[in-house]
Amino acid sequence: MRTASVRKLTVGALAAGLVLTGCGTTADGGSASGGGADGPISGLRLLVPNSPGSGYDTTGRAVAQVMEDEELASGIEVFNLEGAGGTVGLQRLVNEDGNAKMLMQMGLGVVGAQFSNQSEATLDQTTPIAKLIEEAEAIVVPGDSPFQSIDDLVAAWKADPGGTPVGGASNPGGPDHLTPMLLAQETGVDPTEVNYVSYDGGGELLAGILGGDVAFAATGVGEVTEAAEAGDVRILAVTSEEAVEGVDAPTLTDEGIDLVFANWRGIVAAPGISDDEKQAFVDAVTEMHDSEAWQQVLEDQGWTDAFVVGDDFSSFLSEESDRVEQVMSELGLA
Amino acid sequence: MSSAAPGGTTTEQGRSEYGVALFLAALGVLVIVQALLIPESRIARGPVGPATVPLVVGGLLVVVAGFLALDVFRGGRGEPEAGEDVELTGSSDWRTVLLLAVAFIANALLIESMGWWFSGAVLFWGAAFALGSRHYVRDALIAFALSFGSFYLFALGLGVVLPPGILDGIL
Amino acid sequence: MDAFTELIGGFGTALTPTNLLYAFIGVLLGTAIGVLPGIGPAMTVALLLPLTRGLDVTGALIMFAGIYYGGMYGGSTTSILLNTPGESASVVTAIEGNRMAKSGRAAQALATAAIGSFVAGTIATLLLALVAPTVADLAVEVSPADTFAIMVLAFIAVTSVLGSSRIRGLAALGIGLTIGLIGIDPTSGQQRFTFGIGELAEGIDVVVVAVGLFAVGESLWTAAHLRRKPIDVIPVGSPRMSRKDFRRSWKPWLRGTAIGFPFGAVPAGGAEIPTFLSYVTEKRLSEHPEEFGKGAIEGVAGPEATNNASAAGGLVPLLTLGIPTTATAAVMLAAIQSYGIEPGPQLFDNEPELVWGLIASLFIGNAVLLLLNLPLAPVWAKLLRIPRSYLYAGILFFSSLGAYAANANTFDLFLLLAIGALGFMMRRYGLPILPAIIGVILGPFAEQEMRQALQISNGDLGGLIDPMSVVVYAIVALILLWPLVRRFVPRKVVPSVLEEATHEIEEAHSHHGLTDSVSVSGTTEARRRFDRANDTEAGDG
Repeated sequence: MRTASVRKLTVGALAAGLVLTGCGTTADGGSASGGGADGPISGLRLLVPNSPGSGYDTTGRAVAQVMEDEELASGIEVFNLEGAGGTVGLQRLVNEDGNAKMLMQMGLGVVGAQFSNQSEATLDQTTPIAKLIEEAEAIVVPGDSPFQSIDDLVAAWKADPGGTPVGGASNPGGPDHLTPMLLAQETGVDPTEVNYVSYDGGGELLAGILGGDVAFAATGVGEVTEAAEAGDVRILAVTSEEAVEGVDAPTLTDEGIDLVFANWRGIVAAPGISDDEKQAFVDAVTEMHDSEAWQQVLEDQGWTDAFVVGDDFSSFLSEESDRVEQVMSELGLA
Repeated sequence: MSSAAPGGTTTEQGRSEYGVALFLAALGVLVIVQALLIPESRIARGPVGPATVPLVVGGLLVVVAGFLALDVFRGGRGEPEAGEDVELTGSSDWRTVLLLAVAFIANALLIESMGWWFSGAVLFWGAAFALGSRHYVRDALIAFALSFGSFYLFALGLGVVLPPGILDGIL
Repeated sequence: MDAFTELIGGFGTALTPTNLLYAFIGVLLGTAIGVLPGIGPAMTVALLLPLTRGLDVTGALIMFAGIYYGGMYGGSTTSILLNTPGESASVVTAIEGNRMAKSGRAAQALATAAIGSFVAGTIATLLLALVAPTVADLAVEVSPADTFAIMVLAFIAVTSVLGSSRIRGLAALGIGLTIGLIGIDPTSGQQRFTFGIGELAEGIDVVVVAVGLFAVGESLWTAAHLRRKPIDVIPVGSPRMSRKDFRRSWKPWLRGTAIGFPFGAVPAGGAEIPTFLSYVTEKRLSEHPEEFGKGAIEGVAGPEATNNASAAGGLVPLLTLGIPTTATAAVMLAAIQSYGIEPGPQLFDNEPELVWGLIASLFIGNAVLLLLNLPLAPVWAKLLRIPRSYLYAGILFFSSLGAYAANANTFDLFLLLAIGALGFMMRRYGLPILPAIIGVILGPFAEQEMRQALQISNGDLGGLIDPMSVVVYAIVALILLWPLVRRFVPRKVVPSVLEEATHEIEEAHSHHGLTDSVSVSGTTEARRRFDRANDTEAGDG
């Protein structure tokens, strides 16, 4: 027992040491080796448009770590530039026209924010590289709710949209808001009639659901799985294409509602880079995705793999933008 | 609540006290005008929309501005904050304040291009100079020690990289 | 299932030499990082999370507990010494704490903060162990309408901190409320007062406002009137708390605990309201009310204890419901989950060893914090002996560093200077700073709760009324009407404390008859809570 503890201590100290050295500073920066070469890409900077410790930050730093470990890149510098739902960072990236040394971590939130903040810089100006992960949204009701299925819910919702408040943990324009809006469109409820209650984070939302303040809620599956297992809330459906592992709920498509939607995160590069430079990024990210280390990260973090790369990601991104813009403009937000 | 004005004559301060009331009134009007320009929300329910609270706050500012002007008219004066390091006899030392602001703005302008190691040191050195320190070399040494020290502390300890500026790749 | 037996078992798990070492390292690192400008407790825990990766669950949780408490205390240290609060919960500490430090009582301020944190943390952790499941069930029943009612109460209480000139206090409150309005309205998603500037869309960070008004404003103000005397150092004074300091501190510690714990346990409670309430309470009950604003030890002891008690209270919904109530708790949740443990109603039954181990390690972390920081208080206090030019240059340096490091945006530096200029103006014309800060923090919170309640009721104003909020409004009405009621009550029956407490309200009434505006502004105001997770804003859950 005692020796075991001592061993764990050494591991801990080692881990501490690794973090201290691993994070690095700006060493290796200046020596630019071209983007397309076989060797590791050097001098790369990864922009995180959010604060340290946030979701984008965790993802961005994990990407950087795996790329370093797999020797796909050396000396990646992760830096944070927060503001306006990520559009301050987006503006910065767009300003770096032709810079093949800069990537940006982003996701669905930035898609919504470019409309709600009337951002001059838009994602279609950037060079999309890859979508990495996603999280399905869950449609949840309190455990003692009369709604047993999504059909029950939709029927009641159609009858009285105003009296059926729906909660979410994002501001209007965020994933928890877009989900019920898209669901409303699909099921024939007027989106402007939807009564959306914005909560300050998943914790307060969960309290709101448990306290019966809202009739139902849309939020990331991960926020409610535990409460669902305990029977405090009931997940009526998930919004992903396929059922979510470990969650006993059908997809919307299973229930006959033609809607697939998820909160996702991905990576884009600066505008105006050459095709070779873009291909080098795509290759590096693909290799990173195929590595065991990345699979381990996915498992540790509980992220769902949603790898889409290059042109497929480009078209996904523009479809997603259109979809979001349409909902937002109907609500007077774009 | 009405204490004799320290710096400047009473009339002079009296006039600038009206300036505070004017500032509050202007702020209130700005808030009200801006609030009226907020488009009606298609999301919010009930009588309280996105403009309601700003209108109340703007109204509060305007009303307070009125009462403040009345208070000044009756001879009320704001009491400048006292403190251990503050000497309220004598007038404000605008030169020091201006120099501090210059050091501060220099930091903001230089941080991205030159890097924190430089801009932070400029800020510290400039502020110390403004406040009367004349040990130019010692101040510079302390300034650079602080800026480099904080740079490495944030970078190595936390993985938060402050701008390296022109020393990118060397630090 | 006796909680005490379980707790002793928990100590058995936690009290090994190795685990004690982890607790020690955690507290040390947490304090060291928490002292850095711009790094609040939430970010401290987030940034140090990777350090615990190599450890087993128990060891990691013990180290967390240390980092958690260390990070919070580190933040208070800079509030007291440099007037630069790192998060809104330690704003109140800065008010009296920094005044104490300026008059050579930094060591006492730091000591009363450390002991108060320890006392509050210990009692609150004990409460956590004993009542967690019961409290959690009740806490969920608190609706937005109830929270809003409590906010109204808080705004009424605020009238007593408006300063010597109430009209100027109200002006400051109005300025604060206006700053709080800036940004996206979370209910409608519309931008307010952003003037097309992207950086303003998420509102102005409360930390930038507080550091701007406090640290930068004060540096500029002092620079304009610097006392240029030959001997230019702050006296260090006695390194220890005197008997009198203890006598004045112990009640605030206990009252702070009583105020902080329930607020922490209520989802959406947070630590800002209770710290303000504690400050107001101590000011009213103090035998030395005249010292408030000039460095009253009660004003440090109470809010610091409250802050810690509310942090421990926050673990109630975190562990029993999986609901994080503060940014720091959200990071803790992520950390606990990374070990495959899902906090929730079954946690106490499924993982008793772990839960009680964690609770025991909270006790240990707390004790280590005290042991480590009490002897350090006089050392920190000596920091203030450096020449004035370096002291204020250093304050400006660290303020800028903090404002920049938090968001990595030059815009925040200009904003900091602008708010600093506002702080200068307010000092020049005797507008008190505290009501402005209260407006920035409570205003957005109150508006959001009210609008949430109205969304839930689909716009029906009746949605603001439910049994609990009625009780709170009744208390508000009683306080406001007390002067009237008292006339019909025989003089002797009136309890003297209550009378004293209402005296100030009465005073507020008589002064320009403006108390109404205060309560109106209570029913008002904007948007965003200070710590609104950027994640959810950016839709990046």
